[in-house]
Amino acid sequence: MLKPLLGSTGSERVLIFITARGEAYPREISRFFGMGTYPIRKQLEKLEVGGILVSQPKGRTLLYTFNPRYPFLKELKELLDKALSFYPEDEREKLIMNRRRPRRRGKIL
Amino acid sequence: MKSINKMTQAELAAYVQSHLREKGITVILSGGASVSIYTANKYVSADVDLIDVYSIERNKIKIAMEEIGFHEKNRYFVHPNTKHIVEFPPGPLSVGEESVTSIKEIKYSTGVLRVISPTDCIKDRLVAYYFWNDQQSLAQALLVAKHNRVNFTDIKRWSKASGNLKGYETFYEKYASKNRSRLR
Repeated sequence: MLKPLLGSTGSERVLIFITARGEAYPREISRFFGMGTYPIRKQLEKLEVGGILVSQPKGRTLLYTFNPRYPFLKELKELLDKALSFYPEDEREKLIMNRRRPRRRGKIL
Repeated sequence: MKSINKMTQAELAAYVQSHLREKGITVILSGGASVSIYTANKYVSADVDLIDVYSIERNKIKIAMEEIGFHEKNRYFVHPNTKHIVEFPPGPLSVGEESVTSIKEIKYSTGVLRVISPTDCIKDRLVAYYFWNDQQSLAQALLVAKHNRVNFTDIKRWSKASGNLKGYETFYEKYASKNRSRLR
């Protein structure tokens, strides 16, 4: 949807995912979209170098969020929110409605 | 001219900036190094963040930096004779959503250093405090406020515009409690 503007599907997926969830690990983005981790990592790195995202180490991986210092963040988020509203309903639901609250270890589902 | 291994962080930043200026590359000092400068090194940062104001082609910066002995390593520029690392975060020059217009010039024997003002330096630190509740950034903002003349009215306006008035109040209360004698 935003590929002509952002230059790649990978960039769009990364930004849409972080828009929906607020933060993301490379692996969870690649799993969600059924892509390899390498191209997702590359996009995340590119967006971090560009000042749009920041990362923080969490355990053995990096957690990416939007960079609060990015001067066009508000406008970018508005654009991405709008783009997300045009996503197919089932995909949008899957992006937004994921479990973020804790689950006790060993609990039988 | 001083040799690089004898330059302070500020002198090094002025030297690099002056060289880049000759090459038509405009960069402004921001980040932790500006905190060091405004707190007489009470806060020490090894990084020299030079904001690439007009998003110059990376290769142009690389060539200019190599001319003065730096080489690129993981997007940072290092020099064998200094522990300081130079980075070029992308522009535009901003604090939060607002552009930075007030630039301070400080003259050193190595060149003229162009740096964000103490007021904008505090805003830059407060972004991290407001967003991540980063207490180190709050402490740095307080140090800059203590050692410099700053525009609290503007910081309050800026904080309010970004929905962080409560965070500003915490910052100002801490500043006031530590600097009562200056406020009288």
